[in-house]
Amino acid sequence: MATPAISIRNLTKVYPIPFRSERVLAVKNLSLDVEPGQVYGLLGPNGSGKSTTMKIVLGLVPPTSGTTQIFGRDSSMVDSREDVGFLPENPYFYKYLTGFETLMFYGKICGLRGAKLRDRAGELLKLVSLENARDRRLGGYSKGMLQRIGLAQALVQEPRLLVLDEPTAGVDPAGSREIRDLILDFKSRGITILLCSHLLGQVQEICDRIGILHRGELVREGKLEDLISIENQTELILENTSPELLGEIQALVNKSNARVVETRKPQTTLERFFLDVTGGNK
Amino acid sequence: MNPAIVTTLPPKTRHKFFSPARVSAIACNTLLELVRLKVFYFLLLFALLIIGCSGFTSIFDFQFQEQFQILKDVSLGSMSIFTLMLSILATAMMLPKDIEDRTLYTILAKPVPRFEYIMGKLLGVFSLLLISTLVMSAMFVIALYAKQQIVINNTLHQGAGIPPDQVKAMIEGVKSQTFTVSLIPCLITIYLKSVLFAALTMLISTFATSSIFTIFIAFTVYFIGSIEGLAREYWYSTPNGSETAKILMGLVALFFPDLQLFNLVDDIVAGNTIAMGLFVKTAGLGVVYTFVYSFVSYVVFAFKEL
Repeated sequence: MATPAISIRNLTKVYPIPFRSERVLAVKNLSLDVEPGQVYGLLGPNGSGKSTTMKIVLGLVPPTSGTTQIFGRDSSMVDSREDVGFLPENPYFYKYLTGFETLMFYGKICGLRGAKLRDRAGELLKLVSLENARDRRLGGYSKGMLQRIGLAQALVQEPRLLVLDEPTAGVDPAGSREIRDLILDFKSRGITILLCSHLLGQVQEICDRIGILHRGELVREGKLEDLISIENQTELILENTSPELLGEIQALVNKSNARVVETRKPQTTLERFFLDVTGGNK
Repeated sequence: MNPAIVTTLPPKTRHKFFSPARVSAIACNTLLELVRLKVFYFLLLFALLIIGCSGFTSIFDFQFQEQFQILKDVSLGSMSIFTLMLSILATAMMLPKDIEDRTLYTILAKPVPRFEYIMGKLLGVFSLLLISTLVMSAMFVIALYAKQQIVINNTLHQGAGIPPDQVKAMIEGVKSQTFTVSLIPCLITIYLKSVLFAALTMLISTFATSSIFTIFIAFTVYFIGSIEGLAREYWYSTPNGSETAKILMGLVALFFPDLQLFNLVDDIVAGNTIAMGLFVKTAGLGVVYTFVYSFVSYVVFAFKEL
């Protein structure tokens, strides 16, 4: 069995409140694995412990108890971060740097140098469609562009794991779709992704597996299709159906023990409709 | 899987515990940030100040010794204040801003140890201060040289009819009042004091909640450091001085640098020679304080929950 990309065991985090005897339990006895190549969605309402879990996985916050590993390496050790790229929620990178300089900086702190780094930066700018904004300072970037340069910096050292915290927060639908497509592209390239998002529709489209945190506890965890499918129901979508055929189907159903729960016209999503109307669906 | 995007094998042996290249990348980025924030504009202010001072001393009927004294006093005093303000203001905004913008997360989520981050940031500020001190020193030397040439020309002009040996002696007298070897330790001490305050400001910012708080505390320390020598002298020379106050003075002296020791400008203006022993002691003290403040900054930052 392959080493999990992320392994969390019995993780608990308690934050003391300064000058008070009270404590806040942010994460309680959390255990989960993210397998290599998987897109794992960590869901939960505000204050459920998602960000704390991510910060512990990234070594930014120490756990009160329990362990976290990245590809078998203790995630509190700096060397484990060679395999990780991180995009925080609403990031503001150094706005005095251009897109190219930003990638060069992040590449250098990952130990990349010279022509190899320049090539890598150019390659990533192309990947996130920011070649035309290569020499523009980040202060002039739109929200969507910032998120895309954030994704590029996360990928600079060719990590096998990406941790994305609300990657489409505050981005318009077209930009949001571009980022979603990029994430699907990373997934197709075999990169493991841990995704935190409030956009459940997007999580549903992207993730293979999800975990739902509530008040610091993992209340549900598993494959997305297993969790959301209704086992005793079947969906049948027909095209160009005549009323007669529908009547025959209904009659067949009536003869059996089954029951038609609902008959309706399938709908497109509001996102697709919006993108069609605004020309963003090219 | 595209090998250009993701490697297939874990790079287990790549990471180094300490990498000068990583520190250098952070230091260069910090310097670039400060340069692009146009902090060097204050150099123009300094240039205007010394040009104005030079012109001012020419208007009035000052002796050339007094003219040199005023120019040195204003220039070295301004350098001391400008570098100090630059070190505090530039350092105070770094850490809180990186935390607020979450830029720090993206850096520390890479294989960058926290001590390298602190070291890189400090070296970036130290470089900025070095460039600023060198540029201001160059401006000061040019202004002083220009003043010297004016005085020498006036001496030659007024000395028509005076024996050449006497004129030569007068010129030598002017030169000896302009540049002295002691100027170099004085300039180095100004730089070391600013570096010390950059390290101290970094230490404050590791536990402060905002840049404003950091700046306020740093200037408070500057105030304490400026008067602690006088206060200590007073309490230790008072026969019936309270023991508690004496212990308090000792503690203050331990944690805060006595900035009077770093003030060599008055000696330069008065024309005194700075003894090598005094300079080495002052420089050593500055280096030790800088090292200790930097190290404690790292320790506090290492345990900080982000």
